[in-house]
Amino acid sequence: MNIFDFFTQPANWVGSEGIPGAIGLHLMYSGISLLIALAIAVPLGVYVGYTGRGEAVVAGLANALRALPTLGLLILVVMILAPVFGSSLAFVLPTIVVLVLLAVPPILTGTYSGIQAADPDAVGAARGMGYTKAQILWHIQLPCALPLLLSGIRGATLQIVSTATVAAYVGLGGLGRFIIDGRAQGDYSKMAAGAILVALLALVLELAFIAIGRLVISPGLQRTTRRSRKTPAPPQPQPPAPAQVLASSAT
Amino acid sequence: MINFDNVSKVYPDGTVAVDGLTLQAPTGKLTILIGPSGCGKTTSMRMINRLIEPSSGVISLDGTDTQSLNRVDLRRRIGYVIQNAGLFPHRTIVDNVAAMPRLLGTPKREARANAMELLERVGLNEKFANRYPWQLSGGQQQRVGVARALATDPPFLLMDEPFSAVDPIVRAQLQEEFLRLQREIGKTIVMVTHDIDEALKLGDQVAVLREGGHLAQVASPAHLLAHPADAFVADFVGTARGYRALGFVTADGTLGVDREPTVRVGDDAATATVGADGWALAVDESNIPQGWVQLGRLNGAQITESDINISGTVAKEFGNLRDMLNSALSSPSGRGVVVDERGVLVGTVSAEAIVAAIRTAKQEVLAS
Ligand SMILES: Nc1ncnc2c1ncn2[C@@H]1O[C@H](COP(=O)(O)OP(=O)(O)OP(=O)(O)O)[C@@H](O)[C@H]1O
Ligand SMILES: [Mg+2]
Repeated sequence: MNIFDFFTQPANWVGSEGIPGAIGLHLMYSGISLLIALAIAVPLGVYVGYTGRGEAVVAGLANALRALPTLGLLILVVMILAPVFGSSLAFVLPTIVVLVLLAVPPILTGTYSGIQAADPDAVGAARGMGYTKAQILWHIQLPCALPLLLSGIRGATLQIVSTATVAAYVGLGGLGRFIIDGRAQGDYSKMAAGAILVALLALVLELAFIAIGRLVISPGLQRTTRRSRKTPAPPQPQPPAPAQVLASSAT
Repeated sequence: MINFDNVSKVYPDGTVAVDGLTLQAPTGKLTILIGPSGCGKTTSMRMINRLIEPSSGVISLDGTDTQSLNRVDLRRRIGYVIQNAGLFPHRTIVDNVAAMPRLLGTPKREARANAMELLERVGLNEKFANRYPWQLSGGQQQRVGVARALATDPPFLLMDEPFSAVDPIVRAQLQEEFLRLQREIGKTIVMVTHDIDEALKLGDQVAVLREGGHLAQVASPAHLLAHPADAFVADFVGTARGYRALGFVTADGTLGVDREPTVRVGDDAATATVGADGWALAVDESNIPQGWVQLGRLNGAQITESDINISGTVAKEFGNLRDMLNSALSSPSGRGVVVDERGVLVGTVSAEAIVAAIRTAKQEVLAS
């Protein structure tokens, strides 16, 4: 059976095990994790960028989080939480915790470096004109931080979507199912189909982020983000390919 | 009036930036703070709107101690212009100017309409209104910076080296325009600069600071040039001060302006009226001077554009003697071209006549 067959078999398009169902579950885990990560990282990033306090701590923490092995962490969290929660929550929760931990660093870095990169002359002028601190944050710093903030969220999203395949490792649904099951059954076209679907999903999301960027980022900033050399973009973690995640974790 | 009463600033690291400064910036006048780098100009200016808190002394605005006001309220009474304009990069030009009125609750339409008017006042074409700051040149951005500072019509204006980040030609243009604007709006302005020519050109009074934030002298530009308080000030206003001082002596009726025969492009060289030295002044249909032509050395039988020598400057009829002298010295014929307010030819002056006028003016000053 080749990959083409996998996509054309009607049976693969129905039920929670089918392609739409798997994509839906995949997006659900990803979406929930992203929302939680946003709720943690954006306020923290705003605080750090605004006060300049705790920058070293946060930067160190973000780097440390980045270095964590995804699958090892997942299994560790499952082992810790399994006795606490009985049901399937014992598997869902660890997955989400891991994805959140992955997504926090890029969003955090994007937020605070975006705020810090806001043109100091503009901020100085606003202060001198009589903007309050809160007004400077809301009217100047945050809009100016949007390009870096959004690119942080974009990086986090791609990271989540590609890593959410690990959910299958602990028995949950999502596109990872195809990869894990395919591997178990020696069905390589199924594995490849899973990988292709993850890549496609990532591509669609990437396009969505470009569209969102056009919509919410002021045209006054779009050139500076593209051309400026003085504002460093936050480190963009290259989302590991799903096959890679599994391969490295299998060893 | 902005009043400094024995104001000092010592930074936490012990640097004495300003030491016992007492100074008045009179209402409706432009006061310049000038001095060598690091002498405390910026610190002094920023203490007015409390971007920097004074260590001791009192600064008051029209008699109100600035310490008795809330910092934000204080700043909203004072327009603020900085060196690189500091425009908000994510807002269009018109929205930059309208920013503060909008923040204070002016309806969008009204704020924008006012902003458009202000942009016109600072000499910016309305086609720039919907552009973003990065699409403007430095000089244009600085105009927007001035318009933005005026948007809430504050009685006071602080300007930190507002024209120093642009090239000399644009700078001169911005200065001229700003002088014209200030004549209309009559704000109480404190401006920091390190350019003595700018200080002398724009200032109603100039405060010269020396290292350590001591006030060396405060006086009108003409007085500063004629009576520097000490060697430091004399040195600071420069060795060209004799020539610079001419900028404050206006040409009165005693300066003899001679009638000058003129030629036009297309005239026949043979029939043209010509001065004894062979140089003739070319004008256009409205009698606006175009430059000098040397009739003995034309390219053809008729006068053409390419025959015109444009090296000479023009001086305004009731302008200062510095411009007059410059006009005579730069003219290939040695005769300085004098025009009226509209740029129409009045006549020419010789360097000798100007020097005579300078002598008369000197005697008058000494006699008084
Ligand atoms: N935040 C600060 N902490 C410590 N010292 C400072 C601080 N700001 C300025 N200074 C010092 O105070 C002195 C006056 O500085 P200020 O910026 O007022 O000078 P200035 O006259 O505006 O100079 P310039 O022409 O170079 O702009 C300088 O010696 C400067 O090094
Ligand atoms: Mg300065």
